[in-house]
Amino acid sequence: MESSDNKKSKISRREFINSSVRFSIVLGIGAIGGRLLTRSHARQMVWQLDTSKCIQCGRCATNCVKTPSAVKCVHVYSMCGYCDLCGGYFRPETKELTTAAENQLCPTSAIRRKFVEDPFFQYDIDEKLCIGCGKCVKGCGAFGNGSLQLQVRHDLCDNCNECAIARDCPAGAFSRVSSDSPYLFSGFDSKKKG
Amino acid sequence: MKKTVAYTVLIFIISLQLYNSFAVQRFPKPEFESGYIQPPTSTPDPRSEAFAILDVVVLIATLSVVTWMVLKKRNRNGVFWISIFSIAYFGFFCEGCICAVGSVQNVTYALFNPVYSIPITVIAFFAIPIIFTVFFGRTFCAGVCPLGAIQDIFVLRPVTLKSWLLKVLGLIPFIYLGLSILYAATSTDFIICRYDPFVGFFRLNASFTMFMLGGIFLLLGVFIARPYCRFLCPYGVILNLVSRVSKKHLTITPAKCIQCKLCENSCPFGAIDKPVQVKEKEESHKAVRRIMLLTIIIPLLVLIGGYVGSRFHENLARVNHNVQLAQILLNPNNTQPDSFEVTAFKSSGKSTEEFFKETALIVNKFYIGGWILGGFLGLVFGLTLTSLSIFKYQEDYTPNKGTCLSCARCIDFCPVKEDER
Amino acid sequence: MSKLKKVIENVRLWKGVAIVAGVYSFIFCVLIIANFTQINRVDPVNTKVLNTLVERLKENPNDNQLREEIRELDLLARKAYFTNQWQIKNGGYMLMIGVLVLIIALQFIRLATKGLPVVDNENDDKLLYTQNKARKWISIGGATLVVVALVFAFLTQNQLKSTFINAAQASNNEEKSQVSNSPVVQETTQAKVVETPKNVTAEVTDANKEKKLEVTTSKEEKKEQVQQPQVSNQVVTAANYPSDNELKNNFPNFRGFGGNAIAYQKNIPVSWDGSSGQNVLWKVAIPLPGYNSPVIWGDKIFVAGANASKREVYCFERNSGKLLWIANADNIQGSPLKAPDVQGDTGQSAPTISTDGKRVYVIFANGDIMAVDMNGTRVWAKNLGVPQNHYGHSSSLIAYKNLVIVQYDQRTNPRVLALSSATGDEVWSTPRKVKISWSSPIIVNTGIRAELMLVAEPSVSSYDPTTGKQLWSIDCISGEVGPSLAYADGVVFALNEYASLTAIKVGNTPQKLWESSDYLSDVPSPVATDKYLFVVTSYGTVVCYDAKTGTSYWTKEFENGFYSSPVIAEDKVYLMDKQGTMHIFKADKVYASLGEPKLGEKTVTTPAFANGRIYIRGDKNLYCIGK
Repeated sequence: MESSDNKKSKISRREFINSSVRFSIVLGIGAIGGRLLTRSHARQMVWQLDTSKCIQCGRCATNCVKTPSAVKCVHVYSMCGYCDLCGGYFRPETKELTTAAENQLCPTSAIRRKFVEDPFFQYDIDEKLCIGCGKCVKGCGAFGNGSLQLQVRHDLCDNCNECAIARDCPAGAFSRVSSDSPYLFSGFDSKKKG
Repeated sequence: MKKTVAYTVLIFIISLQLYNSFAVQRFPKPEFESGYIQPPTSTPDPRSEAFAILDVVVLIATLSVVTWMVLKKRNRNGVFWISIFSIAYFGFFCEGCICAVGSVQNVTYALFNPVYSIPITVIAFFAIPIIFTVFFGRTFCAGVCPLGAIQDIFVLRPVTLKSWLLKVLGLIPFIYLGLSILYAATSTDFIICRYDPFVGFFRLNASFTMFMLGGIFLLLGVFIARPYCRFLCPYGVILNLVSRVSKKHLTITPAKCIQCKLCENSCPFGAIDKPVQVKEKEESHKAVRRIMLLTIIIPLLVLIGGYVGSRFHENLARVNHNVQLAQILLNPNNTQPDSFEVTAFKSSGKSTEEFFKETALIVNKFYIGGWILGGFLGLVFGLTLTSLSIFKYQEDYTPNKGTCLSCARCIDFCPVKEDER
Repeated sequence: MSKLKKVIENVRLWKGVAIVAGVYSFIFCVLIIANFTQINRVDPVNTKVLNTLVERLKENPNDNQLREEIRELDLLARKAYFTNQWQIKNGGYMLMIGVLVLIIALQFIRLATKGLPVVDNENDDKLLYTQNKARKWISIGGATLVVVALVFAFLTQNQLKSTFINAAQASNNEEKSQVSNSPVVQETTQAKVVETPKNVTAEVTDANKEKKLEVTTSKEEKKEQVQQPQVSNQVVTAANYPSDNELKNNFPNFRGFGGNAIAYQKNIPVSWDGSSGQNVLWKVAIPLPGYNSPVIWGDKIFVAGANASKREVYCFERNSGKLLWIANADNIQGSPLKAPDVQGDTGQSAPTISTDGKRVYVIFANGDIMAVDMNGTRVWAKNLGVPQNHYGHSSSLIAYKNLVIVQYDQRTNPRVLALSSATGDEVWSTPRKVKISWSSPIIVNTGIRAELMLVAEPSVSSYDPTTGKQLWSIDCISGEVGPSLAYADGVVFALNEYASLTAIKVGNTPQKLWESSDYLSDVPSPVATDKYLFVVTSYGTVVCYDAKTGTSYWTKEFENGFYSSPVIAEDKVYLMDKQGTMHIFKADKVYASLGEPKLGEKTVTTPAFANGRIYIRGDKNLYCIGK
């Protein structure tokens, strides 16, 4: 009789300790959660790269968890000079400005060159083919207006918790941005949509 | 007066030049005569917010169902099918992100970096499994966590590991947790995500080494059940601790244990505590002395750990990108051509002074972090040693509330039927 | 139902399924791994073969067979790339299905063969034993961790934090010493500090209040002093010396920003003709001769001229060519009565002017150095002692922050010194153990600090431009050094006739990257980009080297020799020959001429660049080229 009483009191004491610990855990989680909620964001955060920091190292093509990369070259037409000799389209020192394979800079032939009117050409990116290597971006930035820019395409991006490109980006150009303004073009207001 | 005028003029000139340098566009946009209309630049939207909320809803739903299956229905098959669903939904559909395991880092990162506004869904993924564990034990591990679930279906020929070995290996997750929090707090890296062995399968895409690692874990999992969960998972550590005080927990038997020993080897995770006969008890004065000794030793261990951690902080800090870059910049013998990092730094126009100051600050953070991490590990080791000296009298076969993953396998082995009074 | 159960419990069937699925999965696994190792995720067509073929095509642009070959190969490469990706993707799915079937089969086998649970009565896993063993191994594990961590920590101890703090201070000190040296700061500080007590003492009429006031005075003074640095800092950053960007936007000294022959200007013309006047916006005669090159600040362009009796600085309006003012360098204390004997091709005014946008600094062959403000009013002038130089002093000045730096490598007491740009007072002077040289200093940022680099027999040396402290030095050159250095991307290039061309990786312990002695120069300086080095010889050869390896890409002989130094603008090399023909070619590993416009006047100076303009000093005239 006595021993069972003893046991009971032991159990109830343990139960008391347990429930108080439980209470404090819930309280703690509540506190952390509450504290974070004050600066939390109802919107999702998505990864994007800041074109002004980008140095076109080519890691976007290799480091993305997707194959091909979710980073693509995007053409900001409003910045384009519609050049005949496009630094993003042609290999350097190309003499014949034709669409022949030996003249193209893009490794997957993802840029389409279309005649508009003399002497202007429109360049479109075929995102299915683009691997995000940034060669054309570099070419356009060096010789042209910089209208070709690398951006994370959000319809393709898995939005990993930690972007595999971001952690190896030499320029620290990647950051989490709010999903209501998910693009960081330079010289172009993405909200206007062209 | 004259000076002021001169300055104003100079500033005006400077601003003029700045303005000019921004306005330069090498090739102005042509004026088309053929009525050409410029196509718009497409900006596809990210995944809808609704999906994120759906994820949370599905998380709560699966957690509730698993808990119900484990505690009320006592049905292993149900748990199994839910884990298949979790692999499909949280694994393949959500492609592994966000998961509760990784959310530890987001929470830490948010606590230490006021700039980062953490999405509510991430907080939910961190908090909800813990809340469930407080009340019902680790039902999250049982069948909701996709990483656990994919290992669970590979449990085919489990071998029983010695329980002392389980105790020793069980300390690794603490180290992993400590490191991941340190690196998240210093905004260095999310190492849990980086070295997640299974997420590659869910995405059907990863580097070759990560695929190999995942494959090794799965093959190992055929014999050593759920190796990642038991010996690495940092979130499991938190749940383990929380689960020890859980209000309700899975029981092997629905009524009274009849000591049939049938369940003894049923747990592939070695999470069943066996009865301890009184006769095994050590001479009490010896045990008491050891406990006393260990209690004194704990603060000492914390200090030693802290000291070692603080000594080791530079090695920890070298993972940080800025620290690496600063070292390259300061290395006078560097004859290699500039890496992308150095080129990017040089072209960023950031002042070196500012950069080195920042980096010194980061190293300092690691110094403090080293103390805390080391102290924490010292404490963990000390407490584990102490708990290993406590003799706990036990009559029945019960699941160990900390290490039990609530998978409900043992239930099938118990011959006792529920009282139908 | 029972049928289904039978199927499920048919162990033989499931074993068969498991074996088939296992083999299938294994094969796919091997295939995928084989494919994985092949995959070239970066660049399918950027292969060596293709690139060499394209190079070859560039050499023979009419080789249609080659062209076809490239196209075929290109197509093949791209096809292989995409097929490879397709294979891996679909292989992944197939493998997943295989593994799934295998797992299901294995699970069923396990279910069916599950016997009764084994009960061993001997409980071998005794609690005490377990606890003991666990304690032991945890202690061992913990101790191992501690030891390993400590060993690592002590082996790699580097004092990272203090290293970084020191590095930060090193770059900070530079700024600070600037601030304290800056006369503007001192002036304002003094003025204000003096002012405050004056105001207060004026108010002190009541002797009773004196004590109180004293207290307030000192307080106010303190406050003033506290506030002072902030105020003056702003002044300094805003106006005391130009930022790098401002310097880049102008053409402030010999060979532009930092003296490194890189022009940051845009839309530089590539065609003109001096005889027909095509694209020549204006042309004015420069009163006195001089082999110094024009420099530009804002809308003003400056050149100097001198003969044995007169030394002058000319300022022209950049757009119109109007002569705005002439500043005479006369009546300078310590100036010798008779100009030194100099060689005809050096002259009395070979060093190029330097400007920081506040003042213009000029030095002549007799050692007269003068600063005039942008309106031509003299600010200060002095004589540094007639340089003992048998051809004539020719090293150009370079302004750095609030200093003017003079490389004074003469026969006795060779030194490099810095004068305060506002007062002309000597701020620092560092003796040099070198022979006479005719080269000009360059100031470059090596990524962690600004370095002043000089060349003279026997060494290339680097100095901290704010303190004059020598940072490093490396012996690599000999003779009467004329060409200045060229720097790009951590590598500095030095060369001299009858010596050698050396590429040096800069740093506290500089290292020779490569050497060459095939083509050397005695007057024109080289110019370098991150990739290429262009060496120009006075007898008319231009060579392009790989900057990092020294591989010579091309060599081109020109008819006329060069005295003028090449400058790179917009990735084009602008090189003026002695007869006045500008050779414009791509700064690239193949020689591609972009134009050879003629000025029609002999030229030995280096042109100056502004957006859309080139300014060239001919023998007698100053030209502005542009559209």
